[in-house]
Amino acid sequence: MKNKLHIVFGIVALVASQLVSAQEKDLRKVVFTGAARGLYYGDKIGQEEADSITIPRMNSGHTLVDLGMNIRPNRNTEIQGMVRVRNDYGRFWGSGVSFDIRQLYIKGVAGGVVRYQLGDINYKLSPYTLSNTQQEIITQGPVVFQQQTRLMNYDNFYAADSSWRQQGAAAEFGLQFAKFVKELQFHTVGTRVRTTDFGSINDRLFAGYNMNLVQSNFLEVGVNHVTLFDIEGTSHNLSTFHNPVTTGTLMVKRDIAHWKMKLNVETGTSRTYYEKFEGSPETKGKIFDAKLLGVDASKGLTVEAGWKYVSSDFRSPGAQTKRVNYNYQPSSFGRITNDQVVRNLTAFDLMRESNAYNRQLSSNLMLIQPKYDNITPYGTATPNRQGLTVNAKYVYPAQLFDVVATQLLLHETRGEGTLLPRKFRRSEVKATGHLNKIFGNKEKLFDVTLRFRNDRTSREAEENVRAVDLSTQIFSVGVEYEFWENWDLMLGLQQIKFNGFDYTAVRNNFSEIYNFKEYQTDGNEFMKALGVRYRFSDKSSLSVNLSNFKNNDAFDTTQKYNIRQFMLLYQMNF
Amino acid sequence: MKKSIYFLLFASVLYTSCKVDDQFEGPSLVDLYGDFSLVTGLDISNRNVNFSAGETTTFTAAFSKNVNWKVEVKGLQSGAVKRFEGFSNSIDVSNATWSGTTTDLPMFRAEDCAVQLSIENVADTLRDTLTVVGSKVYQGFVAADFENGWNSGWNTYVQSGANMSFAVQTNSNAAQGGRYYEMAGAVSWDWLIGLVNMPGSAYGSTYYPLTSNPSNLYFNTMLYKPAGIDNGLVLFQIKEDDNGDGMYSTGSEDMYSIQVSLTANGWSKISQRYDNIPTLVNGAASGPIGNGLHEPNKIIEVSVLFLANPTSGYSKTWMDYMIFTEGSALEP
Repeated sequence: MKNKLHIVFGIVALVASQLVSAQEKDLRKVVFTGAARGLYYGDKIGQEEADSITIPRMNSGHTLVDLGMNIRPNRNTEIQGMVRVRNDYGRFWGSGVSFDIRQLYIKGVAGGVVRYQLGDINYKLSPYTLSNTQQEIITQGPVVFQQQTRLMNYDNFYAADSSWRQQGAAAEFGLQFAKFVKELQFHTVGTRVRTTDFGSINDRLFAGYNMNLVQSNFLEVGVNHVTLFDIEGTSHNLSTFHNPVTTGTLMVKRDIAHWKMKLNVETGTSRTYYEKFEGSPETKGKIFDAKLLGVDASKGLTVEAGWKYVSSDFRSPGAQTKRVNYNYQPSSFGRITNDQVVRNLTAFDLMRESNAYNRQLSSNLMLIQPKYDNITPYGTATPNRQGLTVNAKYVYPAQLFDVVATQLLLHETRGEGTLLPRKFRRSEVKATGHLNKIFGNKEKLFDVTLRFRNDRTSREAEENVRAVDLSTQIFSVGVEYEFWENWDLMLGLQQIKFNGFDYTAVRNNFSEIYNFKEYQTDGNEFMKALGVRYRFSDKSSLSVNLSNFKNNDAFDTTQKYNIRQFMLLYQMNF
Repeated sequence: MKKSIYFLLFASVLYTSCKVDDQFEGPSLVDLYGDFSLVTGLDISNRNVNFSAGETTTFTAAFSKNVNWKVEVKGLQSGAVKRFEGFSNSIDVSNATWSGTTTDLPMFRAEDCAVQLSIENVADTLRDTLTVVGSKVYQGFVAADFENGWNSGWNTYVQSGANMSFAVQTNSNAAQGGRYYEMAGAVSWDWLIGLVNMPGSAYGSTYYPLTSNPSNLYFNTMLYKPAGIDNGLVLFQIKEDDNGDGMYSTGSEDMYSIQVSLTANGWSKISQRYDNIPTLVNGAASGPIGNGLHEPNKIIEVSVLFLANPTSGYSKTWMDYMIFTEGSALEP
């Protein structure tokens, strides 16, 4: 047996190397990290409707410092603490100053085998079990807008890897084998999603694990299991919520001629139910997602085609929770016109309002905004979708430009309010040109980005039921041009046009549809901005932006307005 | 082998991707937003229905979408009401078949009835008529319906208060048929206004002719509360001859009681499964007086006591159709 199979316990290289290499690079026991910024907004609103009540100018801003201390008491332990000190402009001597603990965790390697982390953790599993889907529209916009979006993502702990910031514990370890199987990896996580009020709300936890068997460089098989559940006995409420999700994954790699091929498959089930809650529903859902990826590096071509099926009853809070809380009311010019109607949340607000975002997993399907995204509002795991997805990327030789194209051809797995399913079609192209390779100094920045997305939702009319036809077009242009040493000129235009009709589902507390609302829209949101940025270094910069946002809604004249914005931003990471 | 796996994988993906459920999610859009139209109007399958012969009649109609609808039948003499309600696109035998029962007492009798169909959010009301040739006959032992007047086997005790009335009344206000029993008066010194004893001997034997299974037997009757009179209490005492000596021995044999405080105006149905009828002492549940067994075949007498707080003044109630049914409570 000893000769046949040698099991070597050790740290899985891919999960532990980061910590080890970091320790090797920097052996200091205490390191200060963090970020600082000063942000100032000067806004002015102009309206088509008469308004003698709303104050047309609004100034706001703050300075803040995230001061972190990274302590390494020994080679296997790391402690990170970060305090945020924030002061809103115009307030001194304690008024408006806030101190918050922004980050606190301990991580390390136990016994040279298990890597663990306690406290604040960023965690991600598969797209159907735990994944933080990016917010609609604005994450793909021109850089002049992205400056603000990145601040907001930073404030809300939204990382580029789609992980969710949670509080709890995580552990990882791996087993390496000499024959037949290369490696067996284990990942497990447990976090506290909600705290009890000692009355009617129970403690709610999220827990899960991933087990991945790496047979070779060409074959991997995995299992993901996550569950969101209430703990009975943590309040006087005897009923408890449970939502386990289990998926299996398969990854196969193979080279065919010039193409490096990779097949990714994920399939699984979900179950949502309550215990000791009479009359509560139980739903069971399933998913199947297969994608075939081909990369021809010699031609700079990457193509991915896939089929997906997500049943209408599939519920996975870790993967379906939205970032944007569409119940949020904008803090800037929250009410407008003489009637002081609520100003609707727009892409302009989504770009810069941190408080419009959600940081915790939701057991229910959250509110969506069909004009921004009616096709994948809950990300990859959006329920009630099936069909074809195609992504392609082409990188021109010498990286002069690259083009990314996406095509989604989906339809519902179960009709909503009628047996006829709605059809969804998304066509998207994004091109980035690095014009410095053609014009001027190749070391200087000169990027131009173009993006166009066309979404359409449709369903034929039936007797007594109107046809559904809702479309959204997003067009944006962005320019970054380094006109002087470290001085950049930034230009951005973005237009979102939406028009048409749909029936939107109204859901109860069990996420069941109990009604439909007629949703008729015809409008556009247009943003343009011009900015100048000075880069002190890769980690710090100063920007001045002028932008104008124009909102039009053919069905609601109160929402016809424009907002001019002046922004001064200094930011630094250290 | 590999090709087979790829083929199976591809086929399964294709299958799941093309399949659409044969049910839809949420309420029907047609019901919510479709136009309403009457596909077929209100019709009645039997316009001269004899419920006493076991006949039924069915109301029918059809609509272009699911709607909240209501069919109401009103007895033109009795004022009895039978109501059918539903949310559907058709009214048919499955949801609107009438066997002569009543929703709002009194019970139907042989009479002409007005029928109307109303639909939520539709202004028009469809109307029709039918005739009840014979009213529904209920299975069970009828202890008192007063249709034949006072049973000479019963006895009564009435206090000498003011405006006392313990008598069978004949008029169209009866819950069933044309007669009911009125109990009324004002007694300022005692809760008891009057009582009626109904011994088994009044029906031709020592005991009530009932089953021995208490879980299958229901006691039912109807009481009427006049508007403005809120102080009446009716106490039914059901006495069992536990030792079989042919008489009830107070304090040593079981007496089960139902106390009814009249709250809703008009006729109300009182029904209780026999084995759920408790022993009451001064209105409160108590331990059994006798052997503690519910033995309906040993019921020797039923007493009906009409009570009111002596300080509360005049009180009045009517009683009708006392019946023991088997299997289920009375559905008038």
